Amino acid sequence: MSDDVKTSDRPALMHLFWWFMFAQGGVLAAILIPVHVLVQGILGPLGIVPVVDQHLDTWYSILGNPLVKLYIVVLIAFPFFHFAHRLRYLLVDLGVKGAKSVPAQVIFYGGAVLITLLAIVLVLTTAPLSF
Amino acid sequence: MATEINASGGTPAPPHEVGRSGGDETVTTRVYHRPMASGWWTRRRNYFMYVVREFTSLPLALWLLWFLYQVQQAQHRAVNYHPTTSIAFVVFSAIVLFFALYHSITFLSLAGSILRFRVIDRPVPARLIVLAQFALWAIASAVIAAVLIGFAR
Repeated sequence: MSDDVKTSDRPALMHLFWWFMFAQGGVLAAILIPVHVLVQGILGPLGIVPVVDQHLDTWYSILGNPLVKLYIVVLIAFPFFHFAHRLRYLLVDLGVKGAKSVPAQVIFYGGAVLITLLAIVLVLTTAPLSF
Repeated sequence: MATEINASGGTPAPPHEVGRSGGDETVTTRVYHRPMASGWWTRRRNYFMYVVREFTSLPLALWLLWFLYQVQQAQHRAVNYHPTTSIAFVVFSAIVLFFALYHSITFLSLAGSILRFRVIDRPVPARLIVLAQFALWAIASAVIAAVLIGFAR
């Protein structure tokens, strides 16, 4: 099994972009997600600690903060580019040939773009800006 | 220029096909990919753990989609807002937390191999870089938990 691979002496800017998003997404997912899952997914629902999203007033209020809006976009956008790359290559590693195709790239990375856009729309429309 | 490897193993590959496109020299090489058996990842523990590490993305993605749903639920200060408190969701989150911790530990541990810093012409030890990553994780977690809990009423 062999493929033709073309190499170029031009800087691979798109490669740089995707690897940047992958690496930053991995770091941000590692640093930010576990505490959200622990507090909002386990401790809050069990009633062990009070959490902002357990009451509409506090949740709505904090969602109006511009820093929180920016934080949520970062929390969603970067990790989803990381997830898209890892899941596509998981399929490649498991022998799914179609995972290397252009349509698969469009689905995975396009999905990350769509979810990023969805997050931006949601944080902009859920609660008005408040300081 | 990429090194060529011939599928028959060891013998020289055919010469490069060199052409020009738009003033940029483009070199075409043929790369050999060793065929892999479909169950290769079940043969060794470290192969299996590698695949598990790649798989962690799926539960984390699902949980973040729930998080977005929770944001959407508050849209326009909806009167029928119901926070998710079911035991099924707690179990789901506990499973996600396992994968999240596995991702965090494996990813941050790699930092010592990936990042290279020099301070006064001396390389920073890999263990110190990994320690800094874990310290950053601990501080960020404490700050986020303080906000999530501290702003609740």
